[in-house]
Amino acid sequence: MTDFMNYLVLGLTRGSMYALIALGYTLVYGVLQLINFAHSEVFMSGAFGSFIVIHAIVGTGANTASWAVPLLMLVGIVSGGLTAAGVAWTLERVAYRPLRKRGAPKLAFLISAIGASFFLSQFAGKLFNRFQNTPFPAFYNEDSVAFHLFGARVRVIQLVIMGSAVVMMVFLDRLVSQTKLGRGIRAVSEDAPTAALMGIDIDKTISRTFVIGGALGGAAGFLFGLTLGFGNQMGFLPGVKAFAAAVLGGIGNIRGAMIGGLLLGVIENLVPTAPWVSAPWIGTKWTDVVAFVVLVLVLMFRPTGILGERLGRAA
Amino acid sequence: MRTRTLTLVAVVATASALALTGCSSSKSSGGTSSKAGGLGGANTSSGSSGPKKALKIGFQGALSGDNQQLGINEINSVNLAVKQANAKGDLPFTLTVLKSDDGGDAAKAPAAAQTLIQDPAVVGVVGPIFSGPTSATGKDYATAGLGLISPSATNEDLTKSGFTTFHRIVPTDGVEGIAAADYLAKKYKKVFVVDDTTVYGKGVADVVRKELKAKGATVQSQGVAQNTQDYGAIAQTVSSSGAQAMFYGGYDAQAGLFAKALKAAGYKGVSMAGNGGKSSKFESGSGAAGNGFLFSCGCQDATTAPAAAAFNKAYTAAYKTPPSTYSHEAYDATNAMIDAMKTAAGKGTVTRAAVETAINALDFKGITTQIKFAPSGEVAQATVNLYEQKSGKIVELGDIKNQK
Repeated sequence: MTDFMNYLVLGLTRGSMYALIALGYTLVYGVLQLINFAHSEVFMSGAFGSFIVIHAIVGTGANTASWAVPLLMLVGIVSGGLTAAGVAWTLERVAYRPLRKRGAPKLAFLISAIGASFFLSQFAGKLFNRFQNTPFPAFYNEDSVAFHLFGARVRVIQLVIMGSAVVMMVFLDRLVSQTKLGRGIRAVSEDAPTAALMGIDIDKTISRTFVIGGALGGAAGFLFGLTLGFGNQMGFLPGVKAFAAAVLGGIGNIRGAMIGGLLLGVIENLVPTAPWVSAPWIGTKWTDVVAFVVLVLVLMFRPTGILGERLGRAA
Repeated sequence: MRTRTLTLVAVVATASALALTGCSSSKSSGGTSSKAGGLGGANTSSGSSGPKKALKIGFQGALSGDNQQLGINEINSVNLAVKQANAKGDLPFTLTVLKSDDGGDAAKAPAAAQTLIQDPAVVGVVGPIFSGPTSATGKDYATAGLGLISPSATNEDLTKSGFTTFHRIVPTDGVEGIAAADYLAKKYKKVFVVDDTTVYGKGVADVVRKELKAKGATVQSQGVAQNTQDYGAIAQTVSSSGAQAMFYGGYDAQAGLFAKALKAAGYKGVSMAGNGGKSSKFESGSGAAGNGFLFSCGCQDATTAPAAAAFNKAYTAAYKTPPSTYSHEAYDATNAMIDAMKTAAGKGTVTRAAVETAINALDFKGITTQIKFAPSGEVAQATVNLYEQKSGKIVELGDIKNQK
């Protein structure tokens, strides 16, 4: 039981990050019906942006007063979110809007996205360096345990990650279902031409959708970098996993992305380690394989994902 | 329709993701090999009369490309050793270095080897410095009868491939693994071995597992993908297993992440890694969580070994940078080669064959180890040292055999 809970907590922590990234894929898919493959680099830019800000404030992070830690976390999330939102906004302007204006085929968007992804990743490598897994300043005690759950250690930082992810997801859910902007996003995803006739500025709505998705991805970039390290190649695997999570939950569906992300994180941690099996089991080197096998299985039996696609319906 | 397209996209993306996960950036296996080249083939008389004969020491290694830093660390030492030998004035010949760049690439190595083989003044070679190029050229050197002393080629098979003129002064990954396992088995009965599934990491981990079992320890074992970003799950597994010690076969940056995750998972036992884990990248990556982490390495710490003090000073003065990984080994290999050439000169003519014979009979005290070769070409007395990270710096504790 202790082991089960340990892995569950690890899975929920990782799943929260996947869910935040997956929202970016799903939002953009909702309004444009295209997969923004450069989103993994938007996520990466969030880690870089927040690192620069945090590093400027605390240096190496030694001797940071404990009252400052929550503030720094907030600063990290906000700065990561802002950086990534800026990158996402630029991305939409440069890589997507010109294609949209010329009525390019869907395939062109895909290629454009992959190109942008490569460019951003290599550009970050060129600007900073190509070291992977660079640690953040150690301004907090990452080992401090908040409480024990059935004997399992639940660390403060894990609670912070899960908590901030939940807050952001609730906020997004409210935003999409209850505000004017959210109505606009839903209208565009439902039927863009009609939405335009009803007086919704499609360009503005799409641009804002990118910014919202980017901000969530950037916040995840900060949380990821803070706990696991960052580098210019960091986006690829979490990006692909989060995309898988979005498809798992039903792409275009906001609640689906949240559920898909959490589920993928938990499956990834529980299945390869299988704490309920006492004999030697497949082990952690199969983590990535398990994640994608689950995706394939779900798609075989439920091609639209767990909650079904469509932004409008679910929100 | 949209559903079908989407499923297709998802399946294609999944397939490519699987493929990419499978073959993502593979680090080259840790071994680096260097050949010691003797000044071969030239007929030089050692008589005191007449002008001194001009001989050359060959050097084959990576002087360009991704791994050029190791090559630079070594060629600097080779040049320094030759310069010092000439300056001393007691050589019965004059000595120069002929360097040949193989880019660390086995495909380019044969051409690089030919450059050295075809110069009759080359009677011995320091290098090749990497294992891949060594296995590509060992036969050519053997045919030419040109003696090799490698400061850094650690792959097991090099001395079992019929490369009759190949010698190395560093222990293999296997020797290092056995030393590490013996050390762990002395103190701990329950050990968890983790490898990163690369040629180097799995290779050394397999040796450790086998030796631990032979010594009666209980061994648990798992692999992690080499490009893992989140070591939470494996760290939890190690921690929950109740192991007293953990050995990680893998590279520096990843080992640093792993060390952090282990601490976070509440693991209280001892952690250890091989030569692939020992570097400044581990120090910066693990931070305080890496303190107490042990390393086994068949190498000499560049900064702390007392015997190396004079060399460190001379190297730093000559190249404006302190010596680094394998600089000391290259210096030793070159001095051993020069010593062999002097022996050959003392007995008559310095030919490639005479130098090769002298290398086999060497008993030379270097700054890293006593250089004396077994018939296989392995160094007879391989010293594996134990290192530990203390306050963010990896320091040498000394010969692993003498550690309690």
